[in-house]
Amino acid sequence: MAKQPPLSGIRVCDFTWVWAGPYCTLQLAHLGAEVIRIETKTRPCVTRQLPPWPDGQFLGLNRSGYFNQYNQGKKSLSLNFKHPEAKEIARKLISKSDILINNFAAGIIEKMGFGYEEAKKLKSDIIMITLSGYGDTGPWKEFVAYGPAQVPLSGLSSLTGYKDFPPMHAGFSYADPNAGVHGAFALLTALYHRAKTGEGQYIDMSQWECAMGLLAEGILEYTMNGREPVRNGNRDAFMAPHGNFKCIDWPEKILDVTIDRWVSIVCADDAEWSRLATAMGQQELASDARFKTLAARKQNEDELESIIQKWTSAQTVEDVIATLQKANVAVGAVADSRYLSTDANLTARDFFVYKEHPEVGKRQHCGIPWKMRGTPTEVRSAAPTLGQHTDEVLTGLLGYSASDVEALRKLGALD
Amino acid sequence: MAGALSDIKIVELGELVAAPYASKLMADMGAEVIKIERPGVGDLARTRGPFPKDEPHPEKSGLFLYLNTNKLGVTLDIATAEGFEIFEKLIAGADILVHNVIPPEMDRVGLSYDRLKKINPKLIMTSITPWGLEGPYRNWRAEDLTIWAAGGVCVLNGGGPEHADLPPLKTFGSQSGFQGGIHSAVATMGALFARLRDGEGQHIDAPMQEAIAAQLEMTFEYWPYMKMIATRLGQKPLQPVETFMCKDGYIYVCCIEEHQWQNFVHVMGDPEWAGMEIFGNRLARGLNWDALRPMLEEYVSQQTVLDLYKKAQARRIPFAPVSTMGTLLANEHLNARGFFVEIAQPVAGTHKYPGAPLKYEKTPWEIRTPAPTLGQHNEQVYSGRLGMTPARLTELKRKGVI
Repeated sequence: MAKQPPLSGIRVCDFTWVWAGPYCTLQLAHLGAEVIRIETKTRPCVTRQLPPWPDGQFLGLNRSGYFNQYNQGKKSLSLNFKHPEAKEIARKLISKSDILINNFAAGIIEKMGFGYEEAKKLKSDIIMITLSGYGDTGPWKEFVAYGPAQVPLSGLSSLTGYKDFPPMHAGFSYADPNAGVHGAFALLTALYHRAKTGEGQYIDMSQWECAMGLLAEGILEYTMNGREPVRNGNRDAFMAPHGNFKCIDWPEKILDVTIDRWVSIVCADDAEWSRLATAMGQQELASDARFKTLAARKQNEDELESIIQKWTSAQTVEDVIATLQKANVAVGAVADSRYLSTDANLTARDFFVYKEHPEVGKRQHCGIPWKMRGTPTEVRSAAPTLGQHTDEVLTGLLGYSASDVEALRKLGALD
Repeated sequence: MAGALSDIKIVELGELVAAPYASKLMADMGAEVIKIERPGVGDLARTRGPFPKDEPHPEKSGLFLYLNTNKLGVTLDIATAEGFEIFEKLIAGADILVHNVIPPEMDRVGLSYDRLKKINPKLIMTSITPWGLEGPYRNWRAEDLTIWAAGGVCVLNGGGPEHADLPPLKTFGSQSGFQGGIHSAVATMGALFARLRDGEGQHIDAPMQEAIAAQLEMTFEYWPYMKMIATRLGQKPLQPVETFMCKDGYIYVCCIEEHQWQNFVHVMGDPEWAGMEIFGNRLARGLNWDALRPMLEEYVSQQTVLDLYKKAQARRIPFAPVSTMGTLLANEHLNARGFFVEIAQPVAGTHKYPGAPLKYEKTPWEIRTPAPTLGQHNEQVYSGRLGMTPARLTELKRKGVI
């Protein structure tokens, strides 16, 4: 008999927006929870207004690939909290939820009237989490946090970058999904605790603190040796070569952006370097004093990299990968979105999801990053249009009649 | 109050970051973790440092010490028949096995869910691998960097169009490992919750490539929606969203919304140039970035980081200091929240470490014991739990099994 997904029967009242919070509730939706996003037409989620859009045109709030990626399998309930009736709907929903989640800055959810003390009155064993930039306490708790700024704040930027260049970014708002997925782990831990004891609880999350485990090596360098680590590009102190190398290039530009092609290659030890040298047809390099040992390769790393670069630059990404994987050398494409979209591994594993969406049709989206073989998990539906499930939630779950809903809509409470 | 997972027993076959991070997350919430390392050498993380005074020592690696708090450490060679038998005894008493043994090695030593489930049908087995347990790349070699690249992140980061010759840039550290670890921990917790209901264990296939590809912000969707490719060589459409140098360090200037820019202009004392039409909206500021950048550089270079940051925050502009390790450790906010924890380990000494990623109201996150030394708990686990005699232990040690 087909088993239910792990979180079937768990309901999440989801006040989150932008990316960190929606990434958190996406994990819960992936595991089978019913996630109901509280949205409002008066201030739609930022990502509903961001590109990419089909044909490059912003023609409404339901067409963003960004929103549609991170809200798959969720429901959308539209409420305008200027109306007390809307607040009453939210209170009813909280009273029927297991988890209450938001990623507003500290204090905001309390001002809205849905803080933990109020939520507990509505549902005594509720589990609540606030994913804020800085956490609920401390002198900076009210500071505003935006995705891109959390990467430098975390300390990752000062460690990331080319040698002798200023600090660099991660290239995406890394602290956001990292916070989201850690938040999901915390909620699952609290759900497990509740299942054993019947007790709910509150979880205070600072995106900043969540990201600092990721740079433990940097922090320990400082606390052990009193020294800031030096930015060193793609290099690694314990492996060489360790980098990205340019492949054969043919001139291609898409909307003025140059598309170039790279592979990443790593040799973890001398034996792997020897296999690489042989695969490049330059076996003599394996025993060359300049490269024979890790210490020697680190000493002569510029030269080492230019030899590999020379070899890759005359070949396609696919050829380099085929040659080196055959030789059991760690290599991968520096994949861009086009490459990923047809990546043989992701495709064969059915990682991508194509669900019918009323306004953008079937689009390719990234799916669930694991396979559970006992309780299979799947993306159940495309991301919701704004307010798509308002009627369903009000009448099906919260006991409003169709005429109640009509009156509420006329009032503007469902905007 | 005991930790939320204090009734859970985990066996970890972990190297470097991915599996050790997954089980650390659970150990710090109270789970008992028995970490199995290879006799003699141990977890590769022991060789990676950072080390006090830069002197490599298997008991002094900062990365290993961070990732293995609250664990019991045993040595065992599961590639031997005797070793696998002992491994099976540990599995018989476990709720969860977390490992990042790569598929070809799993085949070699005979590590499979079908085999282990016969011993323990309630076992949850979490396999963190670079490319997954199935699929054409199953047996491919990988390292953290190659996964970060193949997952689609590396292409996004680098020097921008003015430094097109510089390669796509990795983010510091072993980020594929961390993301493989946390994403698999989510699936594992899901399985644990399902087991309460169904009474059965299961096998989880958690590839790191997918954990990375799952978090590409809007960049992946540019292809299916618009046939565009996001790369490090694209111009940023909105500005200013950039790092600048102050008198005493770097600051991240971030004005995404119009009101944030207007407020920043006020912070700068309403300079005349800011009223120019070429800086009239965020897209215009992106297009005319070459003209805007020097103006901002000039202003920011005369400020100090914390002063400018706090002035901006007072007007709700989401600037951030570009934190260094030193400024993090000294940070008034983190320290008020008690973020860093001091951990004493007998060989490496006492140092400050990153602390709890989240604060729970009722179920504590806590460091009960430091990371184990290699084989530290052999006797406690093999004699105490499995009832082996001292003579048997000596024999296994002689054979190199433990």
